[in-house]
Amino acid sequence: MISGPLLLLILLFAVAVAVYLLRRLEPLAALIASIASALIAVGLWRLPLDAPARVAGRPVNLGMPLTWEDITLRITPSSRALLVFLFAMAAVAFILAWRTYQGRSFYPFGLLLLALWSMVVLLQPLTLTPLAVVLAAVLSVFLIQAGRPGDTQGAWRQLLFPALAVPFFLLAAWYIEQAPLNPDDTSPYQVAGWLLIIGFALLLQPAPLHVAVPAVAGQAPPVVAAFLWAGGQAVTLFLLQRFLVTYPWLSDALDSAQWLLWLGIFTAILGGVMAGAQQRLGRLLGYAALFDYGVLIVALGLRGTAGLPTAIWLLVTRTVALLTMAAGAAAIRHYMTSDAFDRIRGASSRMPWAVAAMIAGGFGLAGLPLTAQFASRWALLQLVAEVDPRWALLLLAGALGVTVGVARAGQATFGELSHSPVEREPAVTAVIAGLLVLLGVCLAIFPQMLTGPVAAVILPLSVLEP
Amino acid sequence: MSLSDFFRQLSLLIGTPAVVLAAAATILIVVPRDWRVVLFGYALLTVMLSLLLSQVIPTEWALQQAVVGGLVAVMLYLSARQLGGPAAAGLSPSARWPRVASLTSFRALAVGLVVVAFLAVRETVEIPLLTPLFRDAVLWLVLIGLVGLALHAEPLHAGLSLLTFLGGAQLVIFTLIQRQMLVGILQGGQVLLGLAIAYLVVAHGLAAPSRAPVSEALPDFDGPTAEEGALMPGPGAAPESSAAAGGSA
Repeated sequence: MISGPLLLLILLFAVAVAVYLLRRLEPLAALIASIASALIAVGLWRLPLDAPARVAGRPVNLGMPLTWEDITLRITPSSRALLVFLFAMAAVAFILAWRTYQGRSFYPFGLLLLALWSMVVLLQPLTLTPLAVVLAAVLSVFLIQAGRPGDTQGAWRQLLFPALAVPFFLLAAWYIEQAPLNPDDTSPYQVAGWLLIIGFALLLQPAPLHVAVPAVAGQAPPVVAAFLWAGGQAVTLFLLQRFLVTYPWLSDALDSAQWLLWLGIFTAILGGVMAGAQQRLGRLLGYAALFDYGVLIVALGLRGTAGLPTAIWLLVTRTVALLTMAAGAAAIRHYMTSDAFDRIRGASSRMPWAVAAMIAGGFGLAGLPLTAQFASRWALLQLVAEVDPRWALLLLAGALGVTVGVARAGQATFGELSHSPVEREPAVTAVIAGLLVLLGVCLAIFPQMLTGPVAAVILPLSVLEP
Repeated sequence: MSLSDFFRQLSLLIGTPAVVLAAAATILIVVPRDWRVVLFGYALLTVMLSLLLSQVIPTEWALQQAVVGGLVAVMLYLSARQLGGPAAAGLSPSARWPRVASLTSFRALAVGLVVVAFLAVRETVEIPLLTPLFRDAVLWLVLIGLVGLALHAEPLHAGLSLLTFLGGAQLVIFTLIQRQMLVGILQGGQVLLGLAIAYLVVAHGLAAPSRAPVSEALPDFDGPTAEEGALMPGPGAAPESSAAAGGSA
């Protein structure tokens, strides 16, 4: 009997090696990576967790743990939901990357990154999971740099904070082990609580520890950056949720919900204000994503019966908006050879669909009507207003900043071409951009399309296993 | 007497000198710009860390630290050497050494302030199960590592400062948790970190190959001066080869 985690990791490594060997045939590499990710997502969704099944004629038990010494990898109902999301998102990102020229190394390294994120999601004991987060950050360095000489700030900052966080988690693990030895003494729990809080502050990187986001946005190819944010932030927030469920005293040691609300609001405001002042598409994408990340943290901080479903809803819709804006920005950057606002004049006449995707994705991140995020964002604003109406107003102010930034970017693409003739966007790029815009509009008009998937995720998450 | 017994007794005998040497090595990592001095400092630090670790974990495990540190130093040496040093920058021998740049004195001052902070707080810090000697070593390595991260933006110095911070953390973690698997995972992680840092060193150094003559260059307070740039693998250093420009991609 093959255990689910073993099959998953072997498949990912095998496909990554194959894709690496084929990386010069980029369409083929992208197609293989995308199909493999999509098949894994479907397999994870369809195969039973608690009963053996046959895959390619071999017996597989998806729920069977993989154990090595103290370490266990186990697919649980809640982790399965996140894995399906990650692999589905990757399948789309690989196709987008092919038509927007994100670097050939994205496909094999992206698959390896999925393997490491899967390890973070499945690994027990929890206190060792940050080690896998660091390995993912090490791999991200190669994705962000993508073989280009020059500025290394984005790659370095992406690596730095997770590496600094690891010792705090390991020390916390020791204090947690010591606590039962003297049940009357609660100080080990308090120390462990503070160590975990510091560790999570470094992993979550809310403002003012957000420095990696704009640096990555300025340096990495846009689709790669969106892939890293959508996947990495989802995995980190899931990890936080696992910790809060596994160690209830962590919530008691510090009012985590209140802290998450404050950090989320601050991150969202900062992201929104900075987005409104950017002069480059990449950094605009970064700060818009930061605003949206802040909103997601707020949703997680709300907790209660409505907070978690809203957070899951936001997670799905933000991914659509992020990938849409990234695809548009990547195409504009590629064909205009720059993403500075003063260098993309005339882009709307040569690549209208890419510009439409950039604007639609940006407005989606702001949460405007007729975008995928609107329904989930509206629900969140109502929940936040019940807690404190001023916070809802602050979130709206952040959204206004993102809207201004995207409007300025859109305005910059109009007018006569500012430099040498620019190639018209290929039909495939236009089709992909158009489909993403259409998907966003459909989700805005029929938000109930997501009711089924979100409901399917909420149930396992509400009884989240350690 | 077996080799491991000898190593352990040696580490007990030279405990304090090892901590002092480790502290001196960290100053070599943070203050000078010359990558050869910096790498020498890192090599010295890993040997001393290995000696200190052998007091709390089996010698075979502690020796992994020296092996891993050596591997990382070799990777960084190859990366930095590929980019060239003062000779590649076209400086005359007299201009290459000794060299004290304006920012070097600033970094020395920052390290001086760290010393003051260290002396002020060392008695108040309590870490369970750690001897005062280890506590001092941990506190110094963590402080100087963080200061190095604050002072340096380019990958070689910043990366080694991060490894210094993690070296201090390892002293605590391995004192508290003595599991072979954890030692292996952390040491393996350090090799991968070293690989990523070496990659960034090359990527950073291959940028901006053009350089103004030293005599005409003005100090740049956001980064190294032109003379400093010649002593570090960064944008200031002229690449000997751009073959690695493609990196892993």
